Amino acid sequence: MSFKRTIWIGLLLLTMISLVLAGCARATEEPVAPPPEDTEPAPPPTEAPPAEPKIITIAWTQEPDTLNQAYSAMWYSWATTAVWHCWPWQYDENNEPYPHMLTEMPTVSADGLVITMNLRDDITWSDGTPITADDFVFTHEMIINPANAVDSTYPYDYFEISAPDAQTVVMTFEEPFTPWMSNLWQGVLKPKHVLQPVFDSEGTLDEAEWNLAPTVSCGPFVFDEWESGSFIRFVKNENYWGGEPKLDAVVFQFVPDDAAQTAAALAGDVDIAFWPPYEDIPAFRDAGLNIVTQASGYNEGWYFNMREMASPGVKDLVVRKAIAMSLDRASNTAIRLGVVKPVKTFFDAIPAFVDPTLEPWPYDPEAAKQLLEDAGYVDSDGDGIREDLDGNPLTLTQGNTTKEERLNYQAVAQQQLLEVGIDLQILSYDADILFGSFSDAGPAAIGDLDIMQWSDAPAFPDPDTDYWLCSEMPSEEYPWGYNYFFCDETLDALFKKQLVTVDADERAAVFHEISRYMHENVYWLGIWEDPDVWIVNPRLSGYLFSGVTPFFNIMDWDVVE
Amino acid sequence: MSRYIARRLLQAIPLLIIISILIFVLLRSSGDPLATMGGRRVTRPDDRARLARVLGLDQPIYMQYIYWLIGNDWVMIDVDGDGVPETQGSRRGVLRGDFGNSLVTRGKSAVEIITERLPNTLMLMIPTEIIILTISLSIGIYSALRQYSILDQVVTAGSFIGYSMPIFFIALASMYLFAVNFRKWGLPYLPTVGMFDPKVGKTTSQIIWHMVLPILSMSVISISGYSRYIRSQMLEVISQDYIRTAYAKGLSERMVLIGHALKNASIPIVTLIGIDIPFLLGGAVVTETIFGWPGMGRLFIDHLSRYDVPVVMGILMLISIAVVISQLLTDLVYGWLDPRIRYD
Repeated sequence: MSFKRTIWIGLLLLTMISLVLAGCARATEEPVAPPPEDTEPAPPPTEAPPAEPKIITIAWTQEPDTLNQAYSAMWYSWATTAVWHCWPWQYDENNEPYPHMLTEMPTVSADGLVITMNLRDDITWSDGTPITADDFVFTHEMIINPANAVDSTYPYDYFEISAPDAQTVVMTFEEPFTPWMSNLWQGVLKPKHVLQPVFDSEGTLDEAEWNLAPTVSCGPFVFDEWESGSFIRFVKNENYWGGEPKLDAVVFQFVPDDAAQTAAALAGDVDIAFWPPYEDIPAFRDAGLNIVTQASGYNEGWYFNMREMASPGVKDLVVRKAIAMSLDRASNTAIRLGVVKPVKTFFDAIPAFVDPTLEPWPYDPEAAKQLLEDAGYVDSDGDGIREDLDGNPLTLTQGNTTKEERLNYQAVAQQQLLEVGIDLQILSYDADILFGSFSDAGPAAIGDLDIMQWSDAPAFPDPDTDYWLCSEMPSEEYPWGYNYFFCDETLDALFKKQLVTVDADERAAVFHEISRYMHENVYWLGIWEDPDVWIVNPRLSGYLFSGVTPFFNIMDWDVVE
Repeated sequence: MSRYIARRLLQAIPLLIIISILIFVLLRSSGDPLATMGGRRVTRPDDRARLARVLGLDQPIYMQYIYWLIGNDWVMIDVDGDGVPETQGSRRGVLRGDFGNSLVTRGKSAVEIITERLPNTLMLMIPTEIIILTISLSIGIYSALRQYSILDQVVTAGSFIGYSMPIFFIALASMYLFAVNFRKWGLPYLPTVGMFDPKVGKTTSQIIWHMVLPILSMSVISISGYSRYIRSQMLEVISQDYIRTAYAKGLSERMVLIGHALKNASIPIVTLIGIDIPFLLGGAVVTETIFGWPGMGRLFIDHLSRYDVPVVMGILMLISIAVVISQLLTDLVYGWLDPRIRYD
């Protein structure tokens, strides 16, 4: 056989293999046939042609790991649940809760130990089986059962559950658990009639098919197909107890690259893009796409490390106040194209829990310089950097992840602090390194950084957070602690107090005290609000977003070509 | 020949075991898969300890490797954390075909996850490799035969430009030009992302249509590099005495070039192709990420970022085996291309 022939046969074989692979691809739907070329006049229509299916595509930059929320830690999995699953209560576009599967919002006993839910009597799974209190009891049992390797049993291991009747669920806690509304039953309900037989036969739900293909669910849409790496499609739930959705299908298409997501939105290949880079906002505006921002509780902020290994300067309140007054956060926000605004406290997205008398730190470099001068920080050697009374330069280390916006802001902050004589040494790390545990020598955990920047939220829309608890300080004995900052007994006591303060007004008052105390001590410095940003193609109508359950009104979404 | 092949395959076994140990230790030392399992909160210590027991991550690394290799169905495991092993292990180990379940997509085996993605990658990479080789050979041979011609100069300049551009730039630029702007300008346009349009379905035409931009992006750089390499190899060979002899014997130019010159120039090229082939299985991380192609490259990155040992080990061992086999095949092709090489 000649070499030439061998080459051609080889190429032919490879081509055939690749075509066979492409051809073997399972057709998930019949392709839309092109209109036939008419050779004769068409007869007059006798009936209206079938309507085009109303399908929307949402770009999703991360692929969910599973759809069973007990086994998932991913926001990108959890956020889909409002589409295909049901929550006892949901949150509207103002992030206000409203009963969804319940006749009213759960009632809490005066001592805060008993929470009771009354279910509607018309709610059903997508296969028509009624949803009852037994499903809630079963879900609780499955989450706390050690045979199931769920991600977290929190907070289901805090309470016992009972079902006095088919429509009543009673949860009894050993001590009050005030942030229950933000932590319970968020897309985790499991159909007992589907999963109990699986558990009985396999002894665990770890490998249940339902985890990846929940064909029985209780939302406006129901699972249809998951093409690994490509998309998940949910189709209209014909048995939905809440009415008939206007859309026929919702597709979450996985687009891992931000720039590609922007291109897909601009090209109209996807109807919705989520959390694009701020610098792409003008392009969306120019293309006539709608930009919707929604507070999600997240704020970009500076966290101060005041543990023993930190630089002396950062432990000095005067220095922290000077930093707060040296950063022009309003101008910085303007850079982000007016999509975000400055924040003053960690709890800004939940105003009821912020002391209303608080004023943000002003941008006043001259006052910052004066503060430092008065405290003895002077530039004695003329290098532009102040020294403390012992002659140590006022040099602080600041670190964050490699996200471009943070890197840009680092450079701006470094320049602004240098103007008042503070030397900021800036560093950046991949997120898994920055947040590595104490035993993995994570820079945040072992205290390598004086100031850290990232975006985070309390248990939104509840203000509860464990961040500053003394019990969460990382150490060799407790390497997973995530209070990388300090232990302040006063603040610790306040955070513990709010957790068991049942009366809503009293709890809000505790948080007013917390917010004031943290603000005055500059324990956390807000840089900018970090809301959810949604880019929406104008062909969609009726859409609203919540910062908690983003697709809470997906029932009302429609396509207006 | 068969003895040579058998010897090479036997030699590969300890090599693969050493590779697997190195990869496993590096992977397990580089991060903690439990760190991201805490839901919206950082993983609680109680949950961390429970998950570590259930997933076998509480064992020393060498025991984890042994379980990965030969399974743990011969030992009892302490799942409930009372210090008394009470549950029979269920993993059979790689040597018995069980790569374990993914730590990310729990409930799904690593093999299942990989086999879902492998055809997608081959679907993209095989045509890409064919196109790269075909065009590179054409350009390289033409440039060698017409050295310093205008077209050779143009191709040379084009090669340098193509080779200088990073793939993410080519990918994004072509996406914006052919998918975004062409649509805006009312021209026929290509899709931006995905392997097919979910609204239409996974049809052959859809897949081919969605392949165009990824293949274009991957081909530009490789064609630029390969064509330069082929050109220089051909230039070297066509100046050899045996080529002159072939012409003197009255052979046609086509016969001389393809039967003698190209065959001899192919030996180093075969080496390059032999190195490329295993990595066809690994996919193209950047291209797959930008174009949302559901291939092995993306799978690897997604699971590596969460330290999903079973899936990442599966992918890396697949590539390792492919490297061993392709190197063996490359050596065999050497023998066919160069009669002086004998393996018996």
